[in-house]
Amino acid sequence: MLRHVLQRLLMAVPVLFGVLLIGFLLMQVVPTDPATVRAGPTATADVIAQIRKDMGLDQPLYVQFGLYMWRLLQGDLGVSIINNVPVTQELGATIGPTLELMFASLFWSIPIGIALGTIAAYWRGSLLDRCVTALSVAGGSVPVFFLGLMLIWFVGFQWQWLPFTGRGGPLWSVDGWRSLALPALTLGGTFIAPVARMTRTAVLEVMGAEHVRTARAKGLGEYAVVLHHALRNAMIPVVTLIGLQIGFLLGGAVVTETVFSWPGVGRLAVGAILSSDFPMAQGTILVLSLGFIVVNLVVDILYVALDPRMRGH
Amino acid sequence: MAEASTAVATPVAPSMPKRPGTLKRLLREPIAAIALLVVVILVLAALLAPWLSPTGPYDNDLSVSLTVPGTPGMMLGADGQGRNMITRLLYGLRSTLLMGVASVLLGGTVGALVGFAAAFYRRVDGLLMRIMDMLLSFPAILFGLAIAAIMGPGIFTIILALSIATVPLMARIVRGSALVVMRQDYIEAARATGMSDARLIMRHLAPNCLSPLFVFATLRFGQVILLGSALSFLGLGAQAPTAELGAMASEGRDFLFFAPHIAVIPCLVIFTIVLAFNLLGDALRDALDPRLRV
Repeated sequence: MLRHVLQRLLMAVPVLFGVLLIGFLLMQVVPTDPATVRAGPTATADVIAQIRKDMGLDQPLYVQFGLYMWRLLQGDLGVSIINNVPVTQELGATIGPTLELMFASLFWSIPIGIALGTIAAYWRGSLLDRCVTALSVAGGSVPVFFLGLMLIWFVGFQWQWLPFTGRGGPLWSVDGWRSLALPALTLGGTFIAPVARMTRTAVLEVMGAEHVRTARAKGLGEYAVVLHHALRNAMIPVVTLIGLQIGFLLGGAVVTETVFSWPGVGRLAVGAILSSDFPMAQGTILVLSLGFIVVNLVVDILYVALDPRMRGH
Repeated sequence: MAEASTAVATPVAPSMPKRPGTLKRLLREPIAAIALLVVVILVLAALLAPWLSPTGPYDNDLSVSLTVPGTPGMMLGADGQGRNMITRLLYGLRSTLLMGVASVLLGGTVGALVGFAAAFYRRVDGLLMRIMDMLLSFPAILFGLAIAAIMGPGIFTIILALSIATVPLMARIVRGSALVVMRQDYIEAARATGMSDARLIMRHLAPNCLSPLFVFATLRFGQVILLGSALSFLGLGAQAPTAELGAMASEGRDFLFFAPHIAVIPCLVIFTIVLAFNLLGDALRDALDPRLRV
């Protein structure tokens, strides 16, 4: 197990390096010169040259990359061109809300997805199964912004049940969770379909397995057979697939944050790109990518932890 | 693939997946037939947009701005700038479908080439697939954000991002089925005749990997439309005044409370495209290879 973890960690190193390198090169190809920006509009050529030297921009590219890595290790991602706020400060303020949104969405959609998938698999071919399957195909075709706009229109505007712009406060406050409700419903709503579909497939596969037949043969009730023997084993692929779907969830989160003006990393990234705030864009993309590497790593390790058969492979 | 191996023992290999048998099997399913019909209608509408549109794509008349659907002479109403929604939808459909086709073609072709190369030249297999794994570990949205940060927003930005996200998926699928085909005797036989690698791949390997490739491309098309319209919605895609379904939905947000049709209609069209392609892809998979049915 430990060897596997170490192996995976080692494999993540080149990916991490690649992401950092691409993040660095990103800054090289953008049309703006950071020294000119930092010097301000009234600076003379001499001043710009001095700043260029101070920032290490006159050095060869690989030295600059080294400097970039060094600054990164110290948590320095540069300063926003738009409002002069350090990128790390903005990121620090937005990571929380994004994680909050993602966890809240998973919290309600995964149980429902798993329940729907299990029901569909158990009564395979029945009307119920066909309904769940049809729903998951249709649900998987709904643009996340469509769901968000509909919730805003009905729940937020027509019925005036819940707020639909911004974050009302921390999660434990009433305003906080009320403002989280619609974004989490939107993002989670698009996640039910893939979870239900994956669970259905996994449970179907397990239902035919010998240990389920054995469980039935020894007279266990259907409830115990499905819950303890079938679903439990079906969870292995489901957990992995859910982990792999986190990317899909992130895409939805960026859109959801934009629709609901939720102050998360995704909205920050989009805003930075649209306003050509390169350091901010670079920082947000870097953090999102790092998040990804970590999630993949955790899923990979979890997969082995859940399935002892995978050990030693 | 087992039945194919006997049929393709002769050097004449190309067996397109759209042979009459497949189409017939596909159309036997009512849902698939409807999905195919919807796809055909949508594609025709997009192709014929300049002729079907009642007005020019950018013609606006502020006096009719926010006209509700059902108004005589303006079946689907007008948007915030008084542009006919039917016209905007037809042109939007054009941009959106074009974006999807370009992404799947570009990403799919590169991915298929990588997949064939990995299966055929086992020495590069490990390296190619590790690179594909790395690409696969990042979601399309990140490619979209990164490319938009470098190149600026635009429809080509989205096509590039979606293509890159499609490459590793296609590569894996093609490699998987190519490896199965590579084990067949007829490949060995063709090799023994001294056929060149390129010819072997084109004449014998590729034609026998087409089924999963087509199924994937169809299903991927739906996903690409969904992802692409989301990126457009964020403002990273087609810029005003170009009509694009995701961007139209985004413009409609501003009028959501008093003219919801401006946002809702493009959303419904996107939903229809994606649903039709998803259903068609599922049906195609069942028709081409019933064993894959779950």
